[in-house]
Order: sequence, then structure tokens, then C-alpha cells
Amino acid sequence: MAVALPGVVEELLSEMAAAVRESARIPDEHLLSLKFIFGASAVQALDLVDRHSVTLISSPSGRRAYQVLGSSGKTYTCLASCHYCSCPAFAFSVLRKSDSLLCKHLLAIYLSQVMGTCQELSVSDKQLTDILLMEKKQEAS
Amino acid sequence: MAEALRRVLSRSSAAGPEEDTAEAGPPLLLLGAPGSGKTTLLFAAALEAAGEGRGPVFFLTRRPLQSLPRATGAALEPMRLQKIRFQYPPSTPELLWLLGTAHEGPGPAPALLLLDGLEEYLGEDPGAQEAAHLAALLVDTAAHFSHRLGPGRACGLLVALQTQDEGDPGEALRLAVLQRYFPAQCWLQPDAPGPGERCLRACLEPGAPGHRTEWRVSFGADGEPTVAPAAACGSDQASGSGGRARALIGHSLSGPGSPTAKRPRSGTRAESGT
Repeated sequence: MAVALPGVVEELLSEMAAAVRESARIPDEHLLSLKFIFGASAVQALDLVDRHSVTLISSPSGRRAYQVLGSSGKTYTCLASCHYCSCPAFAFSVLRKSDSLLCKHLLAIYLSQVMGTCQELSVSDKQLTDILLMEKKQEAS
Repeated sequence: MAEALRRVLSRSSAAGPEEDTAEAGPPLLLLGAPGSGKTTLLFAAALEAAGEGRGPVFFLTRRPLQSLPRATGAALEPMRLQKIRFQYPPSTPELLWLLGTAHEGPGPAPALLLLDGLEEYLGEDPGAQEAAHLAALLVDTAAHFSHRLGPGRACGLLVALQTQDEGDPGEALRLAVLQRYFPAQCWLQPDAPGPGERCLRACLEPGAPGHRTEWRVSFGADGEPTVAPAAACGSDQASGSGGRARALIGHSLSGPGSPTAKRPRSGTRAESGT
């Protein structure tokens, strides 16, 4: 599926999850590896996680999506089944230039799952549709 | 849905493995120049999946098919056809809306989601984001259907995209973006036609671990496609032995039970009948 992360990243994330379960914080060496793989967006993603800006949105149908409150105050929508984010950085540096694996919002989603700080929000099926279609007029909820 | 297409292509040749995996296989992009038989193969995969009784098949395309692709042979079981639900979103917003609301509709989740003519929904020069959003939403819709189908069953995704010339950089970028969401691809390239037939080579990149497989698909005068593994058909013209693959669709549709299935196809085209 298109959500495959390179093996080294998956391994790092699972090691981090294990470490967090024990000591509730990410060891420095993992942080270094994260910075090595993701560069500047690693720190930015961690900042988003600390500010609890990642929300898992689910609807009665079972379909889900994520919303991440960007540092600029804008809300970006990410899909749960594959790597897609509505932010400009994803379109530019991930899709067009492919010089980064993920944008900071997608990385923040993975890290919030590792840290267990992902917010939960239940919405109606209708509302989830608007979120999935990323209607431009959709205000930052 | 590499699996449905793989079964369509491999079932028709004796060499094809017969394992019918319930697993749908990764999302697959079917690529070819205009008129290279994409719709025919897409429709064959739809019939293949519809025939397995694993649920309906959703076939999305911009315009109704003018005629059922000739290649589907006479044995078009109405039962299979009823299981294919055609929908004709006329524009990109409507297609996005159809995908975005897929979880709102009642009814059984499909076993296969197909889209023909993705290029018509990508517009003149779509940015990477528009192409990625549409591809991601297709994948997300199939993933939701898989979730609704329950454990052990999955909804496949098979999309056809017309390719112009690879030279144009815009198209190369668009393809690179789409390949992020469609790990498996099947390329249809014109091949040296035999006497009186149109011929193309189907080359399946499975995306998942596994080697690339090639088939040679030749369309006879009557439009009936015949598929042979590319390797086997290297000396195909000469051999003409009974082992040559039976007509792709007619055979696989008529299924093992029918009388015509057993009779190995002789090299000459004298006896027709599917």
C-alpha cells in the first residue's frame, strides 16, 4: 500500500514507541536519528506533537482522517490510508522535489501515535466527507 | 488489484498459476496509449472479480461504454454483469465527491473499484497536489471498502491511465506522483502484430515483491484477444501447438465447466466459437 515507510523509519518509530512505554520520553539517540532522517521537519513535528495539534477524526462509518493544526494556525488534512497532506510543503518538497519523505504534519501524526498524544474527535459521516474533500471553505475547526 | 488482472491474464494461459488468493493485491495502474486495450482489460478484470461472488464491482468512467468491449465474448453471464455497478462522474469535482462520500452510502462494499480514463479527471496540466489528492482519495476509498468488507477480504483498486509521450516532463512528474499511490503497474505496449491481428505486450510490475511478468495479447480480426505468456510466445508463430492459450475472455468467462474449456485451442483460427 502507498503508506509504506522505509524500513529504517518503521524500525526507528517502533523503537521509540517501546522507549516511550518505558520512560515516557524519547531517548536522545532516537531524536538524533529522527533529525538525521527528516532534517528540520523532525523538530517542527515534535513541536506540533508537544502542542497536541494532531487529531484523529473518525465517523460512524469507520472511515477516518487526521487533521493537524499547523504552526501557522491553518488546519491541514491528512488521509489515514496513505501519505497525503493538504499542505504546500507536501506538494512541493515531497511530491515535486521528493527531497523529503514526509511533511512535518504526516511525521507529527506518526510521532503523536508513538507518544500517545493524538487527540480523538468523532464527527458525522457528512462532516467527514467535507474533511476528506478538503473543501476550501472549511474553516479551521 | 493486481490479482484480478493477473488472474485474467494468467488464467487464459495454461502456465498461469491457479491460486485464487482472496487478497486483492496492491492498487494497480493500467497504462497504455489510446486504443491499446485498456478498457477491454479493465472490463475483463471487472467480470473476473464479479464472477467470484465476493461482492459487487464499482466501475467508474466518464462516459458510458459505447458497446460492451467485443472481447468479452458471447458468454456474458447476466449474473456477472448485474454485479457491476457503473457510475459516470462527468467532472473531477463529481468524482472527488463520489469518492469522498463512499462511506455515507448503504449497501455492500465492492470487491473491486475500477476507474477508466484517469487522465480525463486530471485536466490539462494538473499540479502534483491535484493528482496526488485524487489518487490518495481513490486509495482511501478502496481502503474504506476493505475495512467494511471485514477481515480477510479486501477491495482491490484498478485504474486505467492513458499515456501520451513519455518525453513531456509534466507527464513524467504526474506519473511519478501516481506511482506513489499505485505500487503495481501494467503497461500495454504495441507489439509486432501477427498476420491480420493487432498485438500488444502487457507487462505487469507487481509492486509487491515478485518479478515482472509479461504477456502477449493479440486481438484477432473479430476483436477477440488471445493471451500468451510473453516468454512462451517467443517462438509462438512457429509452434501453433495445441498448448497455445485459449481466447482470454471467452474462455475464462465460460469457466471450467463449459464444454469449450477443455478443448485445447488448435493453432489455426479455423474453428472459432468461444
